[in-house]
Amino acid sequence: MSLLKLDRVTKRFGGLLAVDHVSLEIEAGELIAIVGPNGAGKTTLFNIMSGVFIPDEGRVIFEGRDISRLPPYKRAPLGIGRTFQIPRPFSSATVRENIAIGAMFGTLGKKVSVDESLKIADRYIDMVGLQLHRGKAAGSLTPVEKKMMEIARALAMNPKLLLMDEAMAGMNPKDIDHMVAFLMRIKDEEKISVIAMVEHIMRAVAGLAERVMVMHQGAKLVDAATTEALSDPRVVEVYFGGAPKEFKKNWKKTNGPESDKGTA
Amino acid sequence: MRADPTKYYPLIPVYVAYLAMFLIGSNMTGMWQLMAMLAFYCALGQAFNIFLGMTGYVDFGYVAFLGVGTYGMALGITKLAHVEELGIGIIIIGLALAVVMATLLSLAVGAVALRLRGAYFAIATIGVNEGFRYFIEGAKIWNGSEGMIFTAELNQIFGRETASALSTFWADVLVLIIAAAAAFVTLYYMKSKIGYALTALREDEDAAKVMGIHVTKYKIIAFITSAVFAGLLGASAWALKTPYVFPPEVFEIHYTVEAIIIVLLGGAGTLLGPLVGGLIYGLSKYYLSIVLPGFQLLIFAPIIILIIVFFPEGIVGMLKNRVKGTALEQYVL
Ligand SMILES: Nc1ncnc2c1ncn2[C@@H]1O[C@H](COP(=O)(O)OP(=O)(O)OP(=O)(O)O)[C@@H](O)[C@H]1O
Ligand SMILES: [Mg+2]
Repeated sequence: MSLLKLDRVTKRFGGLLAVDHVSLEIEAGELIAIVGPNGAGKTTLFNIMSGVFIPDEGRVIFEGRDISRLPPYKRAPLGIGRTFQIPRPFSSATVRENIAIGAMFGTLGKKVSVDESLKIADRYIDMVGLQLHRGKAAGSLTPVEKKMMEIARALAMNPKLLLMDEAMAGMNPKDIDHMVAFLMRIKDEEKISVIAMVEHIMRAVAGLAERVMVMHQGAKLVDAATTEALSDPRVVEVYFGGAPKEFKKNWKKTNGPESDKGTA
Repeated sequence: MRADPTKYYPLIPVYVAYLAMFLIGSNMTGMWQLMAMLAFYCALGQAFNIFLGMTGYVDFGYVAFLGVGTYGMALGITKLAHVEELGIGIIIIGLALAVVMATLLSLAVGAVALRLRGAYFAIATIGVNEGFRYFIEGAKIWNGSEGMIFTAELNQIFGRETASALSTFWADVLVLIIAAAAAFVTLYYMKSKIGYALTALREDEDAAKVMGIHVTKYKIIAFITSAVFAGLLGASAWALKTPYVFPPEVFEIHYTVEAIIIVLLGGAGTLLGPLVGGLIYGLSKYYLSIVLPGFQLLIFAPIIILIIVFFPEGIVGMLKNRVKGTALEQYVL
């Protein structure tokens, strides 16, 4: 049984088909990346998974249970944690309190007291390296720090599935490498599945995921092993439809199956 | 809230202030009325802060809870005045009725309006107080527009002297106790899961939901709590202090506006804020009414706007930032 299964989910905004019959399955312990150009429907797909949106059609199945219509606050304790494309910290609360909130309300099964949650928060603060910011208001962090705080907050929920929207947007290559290593590590250590949304940063995708789903105009274009997906002509077309031939050739060379390293 | 006594420290300045108000009022001639007025504004702020301050939602109909609380006490006294054995128990019954009626009204309003977001909630609550007033007057319940006067009942139950002490002294003491109790509940909430949930939903309701917070449940908890204290306040500061109730007076939106000003001025969502806001608001109103009778509001409005513009987190919000990292930190919340 897969951990999460999307069965032809569809979401419309008026006449716009934001997510178009997308199916996807993720197994426990798997890490997959979802890529796609702006407006492809990635965030909307995440919102369907975490319960912010109810799909117009199709079903969301988590551990064999249909959760398509379950409100988000009931999904979180089942083991679905997420971060946001534009960080959404509880600004006036401290970093420690923010992360504690994740533990307090998002934890599976058992009730977690305030004191326990604060202890759990300390553990994740150390894990994401925000020790110097523990008592600061979350609103005062830099964007990258906010992202790290959101990851800690989601991890404190003890999720089975971590959804990361644009985990690496706005980061420099060094931060990206750090983040990739970090994600690989927590995936194994915390034994969770991760769906990471990555916009354009192929360097990250190539290093991170064995499997990639490419979205385009709301639909699933490709769902395959990373090397295969990134060299797929349709994917190249989507990303560089209007780009000169020379560029496309270069792209293929650096991202194709025969290349040994990814590039930004 | 067990074990760690430092969690209670922020109550110290609050309780010292309330005790000082009591001592000044009871020991300095001519000060009791002023202290009673200040106590009322502090209690009003302390009660409203539990909802407005902690959730960030604005309830324009808030005064309705004071109104029904006033009626609760009035009904208790008038309906049970003939039961002689009750004695002081009749006040307890009046307070209990105020609590029940405020709870019921807040459940009714909350069940509908709290499903709405921010500004929509605020708009939906405009007119709750007026609506309730016209309902009482139109349906002629509780004596309709004639209101209720129960001076005679109080004299009959307690005798003239005690009845007079009740409205000139004990009613005000009760207001101070209500303010202190509301402060305690505020701190208790802040330190418990409820407070964390309310902070989260105040800052970002959608993110709060995704974190597993049942936002409607926590909004309703804050709403009912705040309404109950308003009901108690109406029962003591209005019904007991002036033993009559007229619909137009107890559903006057003016009091909601004062409550909003006090909370924002002092610092929404802080423990000390409503006290500071209530004192500043009450004192300025009092002195302006002496210096420039009739013009208070004209002068007051721009001052308040300036303060809110320059200290968006309120006076205590600013103070909290100032004392951060100092020994005072654990007393200012
Ligand atoms: N709440 C909404 N109301 C109306 N339209 C929306 C809403 N959310 C998203 N859309 C539209 O749906 C489409 C898909 O948006 P979505 O945010 O899911 O894309 P994305 O792949 O995450 O893009 P990006 O890379 O820019 O984050 C876009 O055309 C967007 O304008
Ligand atoms: Mg997006």
